[in-house]
Amino acid sequence: MKKITIDPITRLEGHGKIEIFLNDAGEVENSYFQVPELRGFEKFCEGRLAEDMPQITQRICGVCPEAHHTASTKALDALFHVDPPSPAKKLRELLYCAFYITDHTTHFYILGAPDFIMGPDAPVAERNILGVIAKVGLELGGAVINTRKQNHHIIHILGGRAVHPVFGLPGGVSKGLNEEERKEVEQIAKDSVEFAQLSLKVFDDIVLKNKEYMDMIVSDAYTHHTYYMGLVDEDNKVTFYDGKVRIVDPDGIEFAKYESRQYLEHIAEHVEPWTYVKFPYLKNVGWKGFLEGKDSGVFRVAPLARLNVADGMATPLAQEAYEKMFAALGGKPVHHTLAMHWARLVEMLYAAERLLELSQDPEITSSDIRVIPTATPDEGIGIVEAPRGTLIHHYITDERGVIKKVNLIVATVNNAAAVNMSIKKAAMALIKPGKEITEGLLNRIEMAWRPYDLCLACASHTFPGSNPLPIHIYNGKGKLIKKLT
Amino acid sequence: MKTLVLGMGNPILSDDGIGIWVARALEGELSGGEVTVMETSMAGLNLLELLVDFNRAILIDSIQTGKRKAGQIYRLGPEAFNVTQHTATSHGVNLATVLDLGRKLELNLPQEIIIFAVEAADVNTFGERCTPEVEKAIPVVSNMVIQEVNGGYNA
Repeated sequence: MKKITIDPITRLEGHGKIEIFLNDAGEVENSYFQVPELRGFEKFCEGRLAEDMPQITQRICGVCPEAHHTASTKALDALFHVDPPSPAKKLRELLYCAFYITDHTTHFYILGAPDFIMGPDAPVAERNILGVIAKVGLELGGAVINTRKQNHHIIHILGGRAVHPVFGLPGGVSKGLNEEERKEVEQIAKDSVEFAQLSLKVFDDIVLKNKEYMDMIVSDAYTHHTYYMGLVDEDNKVTFYDGKVRIVDPDGIEFAKYESRQYLEHIAEHVEPWTYVKFPYLKNVGWKGFLEGKDSGVFRVAPLARLNVADGMATPLAQEAYEKMFAALGGKPVHHTLAMHWARLVEMLYAAERLLELSQDPEITSSDIRVIPTATPDEGIGIVEAPRGTLIHHYITDERGVIKKVNLIVATVNNAAAVNMSIKKAAMALIKPGKEITEGLLNRIEMAWRPYDLCLACASHTFPGSNPLPIHIYNGKGKLIKKLT
Repeated sequence: MKTLVLGMGNPILSDDGIGIWVARALEGELSGGEVTVMETSMAGLNLLELLVDFNRAILIDSIQTGKRKAGQIYRLGPEAFNVTQHTATSHGVNLATVLDLGRKLELNLPQEIIIFAVEAADVNTFGERCTPEVEKAIPVVSNMVIQEVNGGYNA
């Protein structure tokens, strides 16, 4: 048996490894996506005060601290049985929209776009942000940096820091907006709407107008018919901060809709001997293996899933972009993994429009931003949509609010089963007996998981010493016979 | 010369936090005037945002070469901008690429960047303390950074 190792996965937060096993005929027999184990998080949390959790959990991850901070804050609301005043909820959502804009911008321009703008077979040295700006223009590079900077400024205004905000408290938030700050946010929101529209235009020009790319997006190698999960508001529109969790089946029909506190009635976890990652699946469908289709409990989260589970977007320009995407890809649901890049940009536009709406909301400068909790804490669950998918925080405390038990299900883990399937499917379609395994071919396999915007930092914060892409090919005896770098 | 002393790492992940602990040790000692002491758990483009408008930057980070003993200290120059824990990657861009990008965009970036990296033993266990050998390196690196700030470290 031959073994191909892609280690470490480039352009992925945290240290991951893909191993592909070939049979004696040279065909793909199996593949494994592995991440190293991080030890002791539960133990680390036990005995701490629950109100410290929004600060602690956002340290888990170097990429989406704000998502952990927000999920954790919502879990504390539930834990302390307190409902924050409306302005506080709006301020949390406002900060969260600013964060979304920075995060989706980073993923698209740093991780997603190079494959398309430079081409999947372009040399690694060019397939990065520098190549992108060389091709698309310095001006766009400046806009990427500026959009991130401006939205970090919003997080700084409210959270006191540009990352790792000190903001969410059980029952509300620590700081509001004054009129001067509100105006600043409003201007940044307007600029961000423009930037998101520009990004959709870049995608339109470079990807949608290129037949080869469109063929690749809809090809079987990058397609899975799965269930989808994501938050929706009361009108079943996409929402990031709060709502009910909706699940649709592979035909796009609503399968379930539940409140955060009910998540354990819908999600169970499957254990495999070769990885410490537990694979969440739909309890009411059952684990049937790494399989797609209606009989398999595998589901997907992240931008495309959110658009698939919703009936639309709550803002006008994003709604237009949403309709355009589904019309171009044959209606809902869309099962093409690569379409996640497109969905991400639709969401970027929604986040910017929603930021603008919130900045113009008469309540947003209110000082009514906190209700002091008085009830005895016991158990709390908070769910948000992290940019890379549904994120669940679940805490159990004693009557003093001291943590007894913590359970987190992070977005990347929700997608773990699907990621495995995506790698295997692409590998099987691309690696053929007698065909040379080139760098470009391996990149096309990486393109099967890159849209998920995997963040192993939530499960692992460890980086390798350097970040090349060594590919090791082993013969049947496990001996290294070829090395590509 | 406007100088940034930047501790990098995750303060709840054992030895990964070394940069943060050094920054906190140096805060009172160095901050003020031309010197700014900061800490960050982010890398990549976030790093770019932090470096703007400084003439000189001294970064403190952990590293895993696996070739030296835990606690070993390295003083690294530009050739090493993609090898320490937090310069290596953040969603895909290492420090070298980030600097390249920043210069192309004509941002005002430090002319001089030095990294002090400490060989880590454990970056996989949650904890607010470094392992003993790495813990011992904290005052040593701190002194090296102070010397560096005051006119260059002489090895």
